[in-house]
Amino acid sequence: MNIWEIIVITLIKILIVFTLLLLTVSYLVYFERKISAWAQNRIGPNRTGWKGALQPFADVGKLLLKEDIVPVNASKVVHTLAPVIALFVAFTTFAVIPIGPDIKLFGYNIQLVAADVNIGILYVLALTSLGVYAITFAGWSSGSKYSLLGGIRSSAQMISYEISMGFSVAGVLLLAGSLRPYDIVYSQSGWLWNAVIQPIGFITFFVSAFAETNRLPFDLPEAEPELVGGYHTEYSSMKFASFFLAEYANMIISGALIVTLYLGGWHFPWLESFGLAPWLVVAIQILTFIFKLAFILFFFMWVRWSIPRFRYDQLMNLGWKVMFPLSLLNLVWVAIVVMYIKP
Amino acid sequence: MAVKKRTKDLTFWQKIYLPEIAKGLALTFKNMVKPKYTIEYPEDKFIPPPSYRGRPVLVMEADGEERCVACGLCARVCPPLAIEVQASETEKEKERYPVKFEINMLRCIFCGFCEEVCPEEAIVMSKDYELAFTSREEAIYGKDKLLTPIDQLNDRIEFLRKYK
Amino acid sequence: MATITIDGKKIEFKSGQTIIQAAKDNGINIPHFCWHPKLSISGNCRVCLVEVAKMPKLVIACATLAADGMVVFTNSEKAVNARNAVMEFILINHPLDCPICDEAGECKLQEYAYDYSVGESRFKEEKQHKEKRVPLGPNVMFDGERCISCSRCIRFCDEIVKEPQLTFVQRGDRVTIVTYPGKELDNDYSLNVTDICPVGALTNRDFRFKSRVWEMSTTKSVCTGCSRGCNSDIWVRNNLILRITPRENEKVNSYWMCDHGRLNTFKNINQLETRINGAFIKEGLSHVPTEWESAYRKAANELKKYAKDEIAFIGSPFATNEDNYLLAKIAKNFGVSNLDFMRHENPAFGDDILKRNDITPNSFGAELAGIRPGKNGFALSEIIQKINDGKIKVVYLLEDDIAESNPEAAEAFAKLKLLIVHSVNFNKTTDLAHIIFGAAAYAEKNGTMINFEGRVQRIRPAVALATPDKSLDGQKLSRQDKFGTEYDSWAQKNIKDALPSWTILMNVAKELDFRLKYNIAEDIFLEMSKNIDALNGLNYNILGELGVPVKDSINQPLAKAL
Repeated sequence: MNIWEIIVITLIKILIVFTLLLLTVSYLVYFERKISAWAQNRIGPNRTGWKGALQPFADVGKLLLKEDIVPVNASKVVHTLAPVIALFVAFTTFAVIPIGPDIKLFGYNIQLVAADVNIGILYVLALTSLGVYAITFAGWSSGSKYSLLGGIRSSAQMISYEISMGFSVAGVLLLAGSLRPYDIVYSQSGWLWNAVIQPIGFITFFVSAFAETNRLPFDLPEAEPELVGGYHTEYSSMKFASFFLAEYANMIISGALIVTLYLGGWHFPWLESFGLAPWLVVAIQILTFIFKLAFILFFFMWVRWSIPRFRYDQLMNLGWKVMFPLSLLNLVWVAIVVMYIKP
Repeated sequence: MAVKKRTKDLTFWQKIYLPEIAKGLALTFKNMVKPKYTIEYPEDKFIPPPSYRGRPVLVMEADGEERCVACGLCARVCPPLAIEVQASETEKEKERYPVKFEINMLRCIFCGFCEEVCPEEAIVMSKDYELAFTSREEAIYGKDKLLTPIDQLNDRIEFLRKYK
Repeated sequence: MATITIDGKKIEFKSGQTIIQAAKDNGINIPHFCWHPKLSISGNCRVCLVEVAKMPKLVIACATLAADGMVVFTNSEKAVNARNAVMEFILINHPLDCPICDEAGECKLQEYAYDYSVGESRFKEEKQHKEKRVPLGPNVMFDGERCISCSRCIRFCDEIVKEPQLTFVQRGDRVTIVTYPGKELDNDYSLNVTDICPVGALTNRDFRFKSRVWEMSTTKSVCTGCSRGCNSDIWVRNNLILRITPRENEKVNSYWMCDHGRLNTFKNINQLETRINGAFIKEGLSHVPTEWESAYRKAANELKKYAKDEIAFIGSPFATNEDNYLLAKIAKNFGVSNLDFMRHENPAFGDDILKRNDITPNSFGAELAGIRPGKNGFALSEIIQKINDGKIKVVYLLEDDIAESNPEAAEAFAKLKLLIVHSVNFNKTTDLAHIIFGAAAYAEKNGTMINFEGRVQRIRPAVALATPDKSLDGQKLSRQDKFGTEYDSWAQKNIKDALPSWTILMNVAKELDFRLKYNIAEDIFLEMSKNIDALNGLNYNILGELGVPVKDSINQPLAKAL
């Protein structure tokens, strides 16, 4: 493969990932509404298209046609920049997440990842921490007390939970001995997923993922009863839609990350022993990844419609007094595993 | 900040919180798979029981005449002053009848007092709940809209005789 | 003074009084149907049965003379039982048609059935059927079934009108009321029987089924049918006057009122087609509606064009004191001395009960307010003469249809260069007018009128105008009027754009560079009370509901002249 071929292939991959991500995001909104309806014994959107299947497009159309309002007190540049950062972070993070093993197509050996970076996990952590800026900027630049409070809360929350997240990830890295997502996935082939080996780390990471994506029960930055709309109080039209997209894209990324780091990526236990054709194995593996991701996303929504929001002090208590020590504990445990149990 | 002591101490498992979360998730999941009670309105219509208080209507006898004698008690008892009656004399035995009987459906609160006070069983609450207007004038229902054949109202009248 | 004890309360009474009268004078109400303070005692309803200590049987309070030291119980067990029994007896044949009956809401039987009856009848048999809807006369309808045979109506005709027209026929439960053969209940006071009838047996044919009594707002006013000035209540619904009933005033009309006053004094106010809405200016042959302001200006500018002795101001015995006073004041200030008003006498109208030959309500007041020729000024007959001579070219006329009642004047008015008229309705005079102002009728404004005896009495706004008079004293509002909003049909309907004459006069005066500042009618009355001796020290509050007489000691000549 020469450099041009690599560029073309990568561009194609980016295009596919980007389109899929956008589509998935809009349908996530639809499923969010459906699942909330089911959990509350309702039916949910059912007017546009079959069972409301065209609802996302109606929503997008509506959002596009709305008037874009910028408050007088807003700092215009930052106000515009904030949603751009949010979107950028959300979409670029997906670049390093592999959704399947290598495949052979038209004589090329293609990796099912946009960029196989050997410090992929670091890249993810770096980008997600950038996401804080989007929210803080949005909160500060809107010139509204609700936005500001939302922004401040958000930065505090994200920084707090990033610590436990980082330590949880450290456990995974310790076990895999690599920062490359591919290696991490390969390190948990079979059924010995990280979730099984280090359950505490799994839980702390999972919870931190909720906090990082600002999902309930950690959606304090946009807590409606107290902050109107939090950092996106003063956003409308496509800018608001950008935040909305970013939130759901973040969800997908967190989900994909959880799958990659803890749930064995595309691995289907003992698939190799069935003696299937190689292309079938790959197909099953891709489906496995998608299924795992789908379950995690469903779980995100399921939790959202089951558990009430934390109070701010509870959130901080949980972050610093529970999650942080637990992730440390997990790290110790993993060290023990690496030293004595795993050869 | 004053610290308030809990009235009920949490058990160990409750403090761990994860089992409680699982319980909550189980509950919502149960609801997700439960059958839904929603009536998909414009396609399926809700048919109310006789005890339902829908739009008040005037009872029209088989001969096409209203029972109402325009005594004005419904207008008097109506808490939001929705009813306006103008009586007039008729050659019939009942002596008086309403030349004008108007209910302002924007004012009506469906309390059913008019029906309760009516000495002639002439105004009853129907099962009609589909009320939409595009102007204030349209919301004032005159005799043409209020008069309803008695055979459509029999179960409400029966209900009233039983429980009123 | 002798005293009797009623229900433990010691009260004094004048000798010759019955128990019920003594009780009434002291605010104790003993239920009664057939007794009426102004009628002879009949004693047939038996509902006023009371227990008197040391008397073996119950006695009727209406026919038993009070005696010194008498102890009366109106609520003892015996009395209550007897009253219940009487109520049950009366209700045996009374139909349960309150929903249809016009009397419902002001029905004595209905009230007593609530207050004194057990509410249940043991009578299971068929009720006695009698004739319903019998027109007894042009104004009164009779329902035989509702009648409880109290005989009030019969006694009223016999004793008050002194024209026996009604009588009982039959016996027992078949007793009913008929007119004497060949007669009708057509006396001038026939509608009073509908007021004194304790049930809905006698109803007003004009008002029949128009409205329930509780739907109307009532306003205390004065009848404008003649110079008696009977105190009245005006009953209004949806901004229409539906009926006028007498209001008790011993000094003027007692409990009564004539049919003319009840029926003919409000129809023109309701008549939307003939009411003058706003101001009109004659252009060519027809009258064109104009803005109030431009009509004021036009009137003033036209008036300024003529010499003062070419102008005559004519007041009105139909207008209030305030209106006439202001006209006189403006005339004086403007330098017009031809000032008078027209008297309306109808010798065929008066009688010796209430009706007077002077069929205007306020000729006393018009004169008192200063409507009389000034120095070198002419009286009305001379004014007409001068118009015919071409000497007087302009007339400013207040609320009086002179052209209708005086053909001579009609002819003369046709020759005028300028005729400005305030009027409630279009009529013969407005046909001749060049500028017409829509004036508020007596039921639409505040003011005072003085009856032929010199009694100053208030009138109050009962009907809302486009520019409403906000003062609501003396008005009992119906629920509809109290809680209605601008979106309710009843609050919007039948609103007329007219103004009280004094407001119009004030605005015209302003255009004549004579600035007057009155906010309400009482401002003018207070000025009058300062300037006119006969009204000295009076204000609306002192006039109250029943009015007060003018001080005739100071104004002797005037009182004599009338």
